[in-house]
Amino acid sequence: MDRRDMASHRGRSSARGHGRSRGWRGRGEGRGRGAGPSPPPPSSSTSSFSAAGATAADRGGDAPPIVGTCPDMCPAREREQRERLRDLAVFERVGSDPVRTSPSLAVKKFCRTISSTSVQASDIRPPPVLRETMDYILHLLDSSGHKFEIIHDFIFDRTRSVRQDLSIQNIVNDQAIQIYEDVIKFHILSHQRLARSCQDSDASSLCYLNMEQLTKCLLSLFDMYDMIHKNNSRSSKETEYYSFYVLLHLGFKIPKMVDSLSLWYSNLSASIIQSKEMIFARTILRFYHLGNFKRFFCTIAAEATDLQLCLLEPFLNEARVRALMYFNHSGYKLQLHPLRYLSEILMVEELELETLCRLCGLEISKNEDIKAFAPKQASFCLPASIPQSNGIYISRENQR
Amino acid sequence: MAPYLSMGEAHRRIADYLSRVADSISSSDGAALASLLAVSSAPPSTPLSDALSAFPDFPRLAADRYPHLSDLLPTLLRAIHSHSLIRFADAYSSFEKAANAFLQEFRNWETPWAMEAMHTVALEIRLLAEKADRELATSGKNPDKLQAAGSFLMKVFGALAVKGPKRIGALYVTCQLFKIYFRLGTVHLCRSVIRSIETARNFDFEDFPVKDKVTYMYYTGRLEVFNENFLVADQKLTYALMHCNPQYEANLRRILKFLVPVKLSIGVLPRITLLERYNLLEYADVVTSLKRGDLRLLRQALERHEDQFLKSGVYLVLEKLELQVYQRLVKKIHIIQRQKEPAKAHQIKLEVVVKALKWLEIDMDVDEVECIMACLIYKNLIKGYFAHKSKVLVLSKQDPFPKLNGKPV
Repeated sequence: MDRRDMASHRGRSSARGHGRSRGWRGRGEGRGRGAGPSPPPPSSSTSSFSAAGATAADRGGDAPPIVGTCPDMCPAREREQRERLRDLAVFERVGSDPVRTSPSLAVKKFCRTISSTSVQASDIRPPPVLRETMDYILHLLDSSGHKFEIIHDFIFDRTRSVRQDLSIQNIVNDQAIQIYEDVIKFHILSHQRLARSCQDSDASSLCYLNMEQLTKCLLSLFDMYDMIHKNNSRSSKETEYYSFYVLLHLGFKIPKMVDSLSLWYSNLSASIIQSKEMIFARTILRFYHLGNFKRFFCTIAAEATDLQLCLLEPFLNEARVRALMYFNHSGYKLQLHPLRYLSEILMVEELELETLCRLCGLEISKNEDIKAFAPKQASFCLPASIPQSNGIYISRENQR
Repeated sequence: MAPYLSMGEAHRRIADYLSRVADSISSSDGAALASLLAVSSAPPSTPLSDALSAFPDFPRLAADRYPHLSDLLPTLLRAIHSHSLIRFADAYSSFEKAANAFLQEFRNWETPWAMEAMHTVALEIRLLAEKADRELATSGKNPDKLQAAGSFLMKVFGALAVKGPKRIGALYVTCQLFKIYFRLGTVHLCRSVIRSIETARNFDFEDFPVKDKVTYMYYTGRLEVFNENFLVADQKLTYALMHCNPQYEANLRRILKFLVPVKLSIGVLPRITLLERYNLLEYADVVTSLKRGDLRLLRQALERHEDQFLKSGVYLVLEKLELQVYQRLVKKIHIIQRQKEPAKAHQIKLEVVVKALKWLEIDMDVDEVECIMACLIYKNLIKGYFAHKSKVLVLSKQDPFPKLNGKPV
């Protein structure tokens, strides 16, 4: 995955901050990374892209946005060029031929440096084609012939290109929102799968970049929600998607948020904040900060939606390690903590818990078949990398 | 309806205004110029605005009479005229043009004689933009004037962030920008001006006027509250409080609204009389819950004022006080036990905590209490340890409930 993402993500903050329209912060889609003038923001309502930050090309926000006419998932021009350059992803090849593709296999690539003045309508896909493209790309998630990282890479790039086409055409409507929701869903599912399948440092940077893109996408989606709210329209999924943003604040390794959670809440409407999914997210954050691990895990088990659970899953072991840290620090050294007890509270399999303990430097003692650890072990230390969890585990005795 | 105005009289009034503006410029009279530019505070009908209505050709009059000010005066009159007709979006647009022309002139004047006028322009453009946006929103259009005002003020800031005496005026403009960004919710845009003020070598913070420093510390203090940097927030908001003119009670209240949660986070409780004096009673139950260890009261207070606290950005700060309330509750149990049986008072059965919570109508089992005790001990709110098997919390004999002493949890 392109490492340039990370550097420019950090660099993009306030230098271009002022003069930016509130409605659309243009997080990378349809915007060259520091190269060339940016295309006009995607909504005519945010056309006052004021003088301070705008360039001459931006002033073209007065001109009507491009209407794409490309009928295929990939413009013919690009197909031919990539065939010539042997730049075809494994999914795009006819048979295994590295120089042949077809309209039903080729998908337009994300292009880093795009300027609105040089783009042609025939290169841009209109909404119905974008929807078809999305459906096609996402079905690849189920394909079993390849390593997940390769599938992820492909979908990551091609969905970014879909978002770029939407952004260049200034499309903000129900269809566009659905596409964004699907992209985010992909990022969340990827988040879970990448975390499960890989343990080495390459993969962890894949995870980081995935999270970064997830966050960007989510924030763009919220801008779009704001815009359609003005027309009294809302997505049926919006409260769940808002809750994802809150849940992202649990992780230590999540890319830094632009705004604090408090600031974010202050701009949110009461109906969203009081929704079931938001209350769930806010509540488990509260339990976490309070150290009430039992309720933290119970509530997740009982109330999390599938996607919320996917998003949380890679974080669960971090929470368990923290619990171990507290118990080790605060417990009485002569009264051991049985792993069985902890595995119920922390909703993790005993074996997995044992692994976590060892990773933290905790010695496990075994007494008459009961495994436990004694608190106040000085050898405890937070592991540098925590293995991803297999989710919430409810032992058979506890299942009702 | 304004009484009938003769063309001659209208012409005379307009010419009079124009000559006062021109004179104030040529005689470098900043105060006079400032008062002539205060467009938004004017009532709908003034002698001048009546004259403008009666004499529609005023832009040409202005341009002909004062060709060297032909960028400034016609648009200024248009702004006044539109404002008197309650056409705020138009008034804003004209005023923005006049303001740009004024800024050009201001840049060319070597001394800062016109600073007061520049500040008036900065204030007026924000006020007009607010009125314009309200008008646009109610007629279903996109309210984008306040944002435009922000862009203009960044230009003004740029003109003031220079070496030399003009830099003294920069903090005032910064504060106008803060007000705009806070109103729009685009608070992250404050960062670049803050960086300029706090790190640029042109500025010595102490040189700025006190009232600007107070406003600046108030807003930057609020930003620190958003980011939960309590020690810095305490510093800044306290500065604002100490240096705020005691007569401006509304401002004192605004500062306290954010300072109180910050103080609570570092373990300093205000007197209820203070809350009463400044009408901050939404915090009263929170304070009481901290004094009594009454978890139920805290939760009720958070629920009752949830919207208000979320809007001002203090909700999460107050929610986190829960740990301190637990500390207080356990302390009370300890005190009661000490009176009954001093020898064993330092051992608290977790079941007793569960019972106390149940008495407060809070449903928690012993496992949850154990988790929370572990957390309290880890965070040094309780000194001691808990014995897992016997389900007992054992307190340290010395200072088992350390005070926060000005440090957040």
